[in-house]
Amino acid sequence: MAPIPDQEDPEVTAGGTREISVNITPFTVGPTPFSLRLVHGPGSPRNFLLAREEVVLGRSSEADIQVDSTDLSRRHLALRREHGQYTVFDLGSRNGVYLNGVRIHSAVLHEGDNLQLGSVVLVFHEGRE
Amino acid sequence: MSWFVKFWGTRGSIPTPGPQSRKYGGNTSCVEIHADPALLICDGGTGLRELGMDLLKRKKGEPIRGHFLFSHTHWDHIQGFPFFVPAYDPRNEFLVYGTSRGDRRTFDLLSGQMRSEYFPVEFSELRSRIAPADLGDGHAHVEGFSVRCVELKHPGRAFAFAFEKEGKKVVYATDNELDLVLADPDQPGREPNARRSFPEPLVEFMRGADLLIGDGQYTDEEYPHRIGWGHSRASTLVDLALAAEVRQLAVFHHDPMQSDRDVDRKIDLCRERAARQGGKVVVFGAREGLELRIG
Repeated sequence: MAPIPDQEDPEVTAGGTREISVNITPFTVGPTPFSLRLVHGPGSPRNFLLAREEVVLGRSSEADIQVDSTDLSRRHLALRREHGQYTVFDLGSRNGVYLNGVRIHSAVLHEGDNLQLGSVVLVFHEGRE
Repeated sequence: MSWFVKFWGTRGSIPTPGPQSRKYGGNTSCVEIHADPALLICDGGTGLRELGMDLLKRKKGEPIRGHFLFSHTHWDHIQGFPFFVPAYDPRNEFLVYGTSRGDRRTFDLLSGQMRSEYFPVEFSELRSRIAPADLGDGHAHVEGFSVRCVELKHPGRAFAFAFEKEGKKVVYATDNELDLVLADPDQPGREPNARRSFPEPLVEFMRGADLLIGDGQYTDEEYPHRIGWGHSRASTLVDLALAAEVRQLAVFHHDPMQSDRDVDRKIDLCRERAARQGGKVVVFGAREGLELRIG
């Protein structure tokens, strides 16, 4: 972000240059949340913010993120945050966890990764701590 | 019992940390095969340091016993070894395999890279028990795994390993210039879309693997400028996977000049090639932190 110039009339000095006053707006970068976007499946489209260090997704009402699809196991996968990134773990689900088309046991997630759980599809979006 | 493959380093030639390689990773070759408590480690590139730290966390103070299988001893495959923290603990034990009876070459070169000219800590100061072992006549049983090896096409020699257990098979075959062993080496230039043919023993070694981890360092555009450097173009690796009817192909040993976006593009081209040929192989780019359940 560039400094924002003051909008008041600048004074013209004897040397021909103009003196202006500038207000510097502090540049701060706040945290932005990591999220999962449900792009296909019951309730889609919908965003789920990942606010905790561990999040369980599944069909169960006790899951942190519940997606009411019979393709999902009750506790289908877990997402764990460590060192500023999330890792996805298959919790022994019946239909598996496919990352960008590959059935995985676990994987560190990156921006735009596609998670397919049966017919349910989610997209991971990286945040910033 | 379930067994797993995990990628700790997938980069070829030299570590490439930085924002351009966050997705696939910048650490050099290191792949873990484990079926608790069995621990087999393919290559000790810089990814080995990360594996060592993870083992300390996972094992929670329990002694660690592991089996090292090095494809060869070029820098990018051994540089992580001096930074493998479990090697400094006297309760731990590691065997370093040669590929033929009495072959201690890898073991000796590992210790050689820790001479004071290269590294401040001598090999003799590693307090774990580190001993040479070998695959006999190219085949041995290691902690419930059948392990076989075959020589690849690479300057200074390199070896592939096939791991089998309970009807499942994984092949680790990196640092291999497939284009130099083609039945018709001129074919890729003349007919780039035609299926390439390989020596039958190589195909048989890979035959039916549930996972082939193969050297696919270069794109078709890059390879003509790197002939003789000992690595494959990814398109030729795809054809080998199809010929051997493997189920999943992990394109491995990414070129250090390739950004994540470049690797994505390379993998897209591989998938298109496999699809054009009617192949059912699942192709993906090996990336750090990815773990597959095999059995």
